[in-house]
Amino acid sequence: MIRLSLLQFRIQAITAAAALAAFAILLAATGPHLASVYAADGLDNCHGSSCLSPATYFTGSLVNSPYMVLFLLSTGIILLAPAVIGLFWGAPLIGRELETGTAALAWNQSVTRTRWLAVKLAIGGLTAMAVTEALSLLQTWWAVPISQAVADGSGAGVAQSRFSQLNFASHGITPIGYAAFAFALGVTAGALIRRTVPAMAVTLAIFAALQVAMPLWVRPNLAPPERTVIPVTSLAAGPSQTGPGGDVFTLYALDIPGQPGAWLLSSGPVNAAGQATSASPAACASVGTRPGGGPQGNAFGPGQGPAAFVGCLARHGIREAITYQPASRYWRFQATETAIYLALALALAGYCFRRLRQLS
Amino acid sequence: MSAIIEASGLGKQYRRTWALRDCTLAIPEGHVVGLVGPNGAGKTTLLRLATGMLTPTRGTITVLGQRPAAGPAQLARVGFVAQDTAVYARLTVADHLRLGAWLNPGWDDDLAHRRIAQLALDLKQRAGSLSGGQRAQLALTLALAKRPDLLVLDEPVAALDPLARREFLQGLMEAVAEHEVSVVLSSHLVADLERVCDYMIVLVGSRVRVAGEVGELLAAHRRLSGPRRDPGSLPAAQEVITESHTDKQTALLIRTDEPVLDPAWAVTPVSLEDLVLAYMSRADDETPTRRQHLGIVS
Repeated sequence: MIRLSLLQFRIQAITAAAALAAFAILLAATGPHLASVYAADGLDNCHGSSCLSPATYFTGSLVNSPYMVLFLLSTGIILLAPAVIGLFWGAPLIGRELETGTAALAWNQSVTRTRWLAVKLAIGGLTAMAVTEALSLLQTWWAVPISQAVADGSGAGVAQSRFSQLNFASHGITPIGYAAFAFALGVTAGALIRRTVPAMAVTLAIFAALQVAMPLWVRPNLAPPERTVIPVTSLAAGPSQTGPGGDVFTLYALDIPGQPGAWLLSSGPVNAAGQATSASPAACASVGTRPGGGPQGNAFGPGQGPAAFVGCLARHGIREAITYQPASRYWRFQATETAIYLALALALAGYCFRRLRQLS
Repeated sequence: MSAIIEASGLGKQYRRTWALRDCTLAIPEGHVVGLVGPNGAGKTTLLRLATGMLTPTRGTITVLGQRPAAGPAQLARVGFVAQDTAVYARLTVADHLRLGAWLNPGWDDDLAHRRIAQLALDLKQRAGSLSGGQRAQLALTLALAKRPDLLVLDEPVAALDPLARREFLQGLMEAVAEHEVSVVLSSHLVADLERVCDYMIVLVGSRVRVAGEVGELLAAHRRLSGPRRDPGSLPAAQEVITESHTDKQTALLIRTDEPVLDPAWAVTPVSLEDLVLAYMSRADDETPTRRQHLGIVS
């Protein structure tokens, strides 16, 4: 049965090996140069706060460089790999056998359907997990200078923190979970729909929906978030917007003091009593209003502008409440999310076994 | 004599419609069994239940004394050639033989290669480019070379041209003679089965209408023709299968184990095709007792 599975799996295996090789060559060809740029910017022998400036320069310099394209492209490939595997390995596994009628041939040899499926799932599933994780590890290696600079620098630039969806879902161990789940999802859809192409469509729709729902609604709540209240003076003030009471500055938290690399979930102004309050109290409206009420470009009068606005908020006892997940929870989150996807994959596989035993 | 397939109250329901209902039968071993019936009679369902490709909604079915597809040993004893004789289009003929050898402990590689050579199939050819007849032959070779005790074939020749049809059935008969395998073969054409089967089951409207050895069935049925009369006046031992009347004449097809003594009848033997057609054309709600005052049926 193992030999038959390998025989039938050879085209997929060759495709996967070719894709993996191309990916590896692309990254191996560009990785050393990226590392040399990193070193040339003085980042490989800086320490602590002395890294901040070169790191910020380095990440800033990557924007609009080919490395940004490569970074996004390789991340995209890692994110798409599980879906592609689910579509082209998972959905046809049972679906095509039923569609073309070869199931009658496969399941009337001296091998039970349970064993048939067990071998097919093991070979396909393990390869799917290995290939996806290999892509992820290659890219993680390639992007070490970038992630190091992002951690050391002021955050803006080509990439975001480890908790951002792009990074969280393409690094660490989550790709293993996604690959296993997408594969099992495809197999299940094929077994239920009995036709390959519709099963592929359903697989893609469900997987995509889950990949959107997970970071938006599930992942932030995998552990109860931490909450902290910080002075508004440690916030950055963004461009102003004209509101009814005058111009309002958008305040945003770039990072949380003492919590580098934390995942910021929400932030909003609170008053001295700790209750949520308006970000533009009437008392501070005049400070934020440009002379003549004009939009961008008009110069602020004396005692006006972003800094004055923030100072006004602070004088009125307004502070910023922030909920976040500390950076130290990164691997816990990785493990939890991977476990969720693996459990889903196992549940789907279990359902497939039952379904195959009592085919109707 | 033990039964190769034994079904009791067997039924398979798809949503509201029954593909097979109340099917009770016992097929003795050592026969080439023809399963005949019109399209939609439930032949495919019965055979897929017998190979474990389907699970029954009601009733039970045992094949060679065990639940179908119960385990590797049971699977090894039953060979199945499905309706569309599907093979893996991308694999070569040789790949298929390899597949059979890998998956079947009782695989007879000599037999497989001998048959492929006889059929003049190219081992390196992809199965997807074989003709319908060649595909069916490849599927049969796979089923035969696992050396089953029972070979189940679901309309294997339905899609073949007359020549390929004859070659396929000939190959089947040679294999049966050589390896003493019991065969259950379905078709909606009696002509296909007549040449090869020595046991016949007529399945109509998901129910078994008649089953038995072909010789016994032929011996037990008579065509009677004579002056018009009410079939109800026949002796109790004569069961009317079909009847047709004109103003003056009555023609009956009856089942009886006794000689027909009434000199008013002209008695002629029936052909297998007539017999099967007679059972197939019987109305659905027909009870084995006689019916009267009904119009011309046959």
